[in-house]
Amino acid sequence: MNAVVEFFGRTWVRGVVLAIALVVLLVLPLVSDPHTNQTISHIAVFAVAVLGLNIVMGYTGQVSLGHIFFVGLGAYCAIIPIYYWWGGSLAEGAIVIGFVLSLVIPGVVGLVVALAAVRLRGLALAMVTIALPIIGVPLAKRLGDLTGGNEGLSIRRLAYEGSDGETYRGNPFGAPSWSGLDNDQWQYYLAVLLALLFFALAYFLVRGKFGRAFAIVKANEAVAGSMGIDPYRYKVLAFTISGIYGGAAGFLYVVVLQYTSSETLSFGHSIELVIATIVGGAGSIVGSILGGAFYVLVPQLTNAWGLSQYTLVAQGVIILLVLFLLPGGLASLPRVIRRLTGRRRGGQHVGSRERAESTSGNTKN
Amino acid sequence: MNAFGTFVQLIVDGLAQGSLYAALALALVLVNQATGLINFAQGGMAVLGAYIGMSVGNLVIPSVGPIAGVLIGIVVAVVVSFFIGALIERFIMRRFQGGDEDTSVVATIGLLTLITGLVGIIWGFNFIPYPFFFGSGESFTIAGIAISVWSLTTFLTIVALMIVLQILFQKTKLGLGLRAVADNPRSAALSGVRVGGMLMIGWGLAAALGTIAGILLAAKVQLNPNNFDAILVYALAAVIIGGLDSPIGAVVAAWGIAIIENLAGTYLEFIGHDLKVAVPFILLFILLILRPQGLFGRKRVVRV
Repeated sequence: MNAVVEFFGRTWVRGVVLAIALVVLLVLPLVSDPHTNQTISHIAVFAVAVLGLNIVMGYTGQVSLGHIFFVGLGAYCAIIPIYYWWGGSLAEGAIVIGFVLSLVIPGVVGLVVALAAVRLRGLALAMVTIALPIIGVPLAKRLGDLTGGNEGLSIRRLAYEGSDGETYRGNPFGAPSWSGLDNDQWQYYLAVLLALLFFALAYFLVRGKFGRAFAIVKANEAVAGSMGIDPYRYKVLAFTISGIYGGAAGFLYVVVLQYTSSETLSFGHSIELVIATIVGGAGSIVGSILGGAFYVLVPQLTNAWGLSQYTLVAQGVIILLVLFLLPGGLASLPRVIRRLTGRRRGGQHVGSRERAESTSGNTKN
Repeated sequence: MNAFGTFVQLIVDGLAQGSLYAALALALVLVNQATGLINFAQGGMAVLGAYIGMSVGNLVIPSVGPIAGVLIGIVVAVVVSFFIGALIERFIMRRFQGGDEDTSVVATIGLLTLITGLVGIIWGFNFIPYPFFFGSGESFTIAGIAISVWSLTTFLTIVALMIVLQILFQKTKLGLGLRAVADNPRSAALSGVRVGGMLMIGWGLAAALGTIAGILLAAKVQLNPNNFDAILVYALAAVIIGGLDSPIGAVVAAWGIAIIENLAGTYLEFIGHDLKVAVPFILLFILLILRPQGLFGRKRVVRV
């Protein structure tokens, strides 16, 4: 086991594994059924959402309990221009406008919220951010003329006026005929490729200058300050980026579902997103993907087994078990296995070295 | 009713509604004083307590009559909640005591999910009425102001609880022990305070207090597993504004929040009834920029 884990730790092996994973991701929709494609598209959506939460929570150490608000806001920003303008004179331009707005507006809102909220430390920040979905839902309902109120907005069969003056119905995210794809395959490619792009950007962000600054702010704000890194500024920055990622997830949500309503940003979902982030692995790129999968698959599995009333209990039990047994989340599983097998086999020397390594890893988490 | 009458009525209603927020806020303060944590599952635990009270009440009412039945239900619910709270502290939260704040926040979030899910499985997700000996609409009029029996009961209960808690923290040995444990568990232990016991008592008392809040709410609206989601948010706002270390501050802040949101909901057209919940947070944001430590809280100095 140890050798296997070590084998996968090598850089070139990781590269090969990544390449194989990419090929599988790209070929899979052509051979699998629509339900699988939709499930993976959903996972891509919420993996981006979890990644956004991870940037502020996992990498910068600030608890945000209202992240779903940015996802829901992004979904509205994406769907509203498409709903009102698509197919008219703007044609596909409406989708571009939706995409840009779904990044800009949640980013700006994230910035404004952060400017005030980030003044608080740990607990109080959690206490303020938890209010975002609680306010967001009635606000979305109040702006019903724009947001479709309780029913929400659907663009699955959107009416538009053609150049001949006739009214047509179409799906802005339906597969174009030149692609030769089905709708689920087309949406899969849109969602997964955009998600990969956002993951790549995040990868470079957290490994670059900003990522190091976030880590220092997380480890010790006073030390960060003494090193010339203003914790306030970097926390605001992390919050803003996290808002943009939430908005991006909202856009992908519209790509995959072609629908949104105030239910999207409800309090319960916000909590589920936090749980998914920690279960997947705080401060980990792979953990964000696992978190997205957890978020999508747990309700899907309990529904499939006819146990949907047990969804909440399952999530609650799993998160507590993870906190008890695997504080680094599912992403830390290989490290934990290596530690355990190393301790069993290699005797005192290897065991203590690995343990020291893992504890330094833990403080980083 | 004249304009001034409406204004006074809004304040009276706000005091009652605020008392409900205050009850949960007091529970949050209690846990924070004992453990230094914020329990995001406090609302979920309050709902659980209210359901227990309802079930026990329904069980004994046929044999002892409505008034005694409801009272027995309340007493049983409060006592059972105390033990549930203490057991949760001992077997779940103890593990995170003294660790990373963020982890304990997530732990209480997990607890909230778990408790809400359990309540949903046992009692279902539909609204259930709580058996009570006065109707939620019963009221009397003083000088043109309508005061419901519920409002008066809630208000008086909260004032009493606030006084009891303030005395507990400031004047009793138990309160001193609770504060000592939250402030510095190690030196508290060295001074002979039983740290584990204090933590359990803190959580137990908070759970009992939350249950009173749960039952007061259940007397007004029907029970539902998600009843307390929004109220938790108000209570959190109250403890941020009032300061985590001050029961009186939390209660006054809760009243203030409810009165201001009532007034804003009536007099500001855009806010209306449904957006009232935004009002305390807009105020909170302004306050955060002006006074980050809360109105009644003390400023903390952090050393490297």
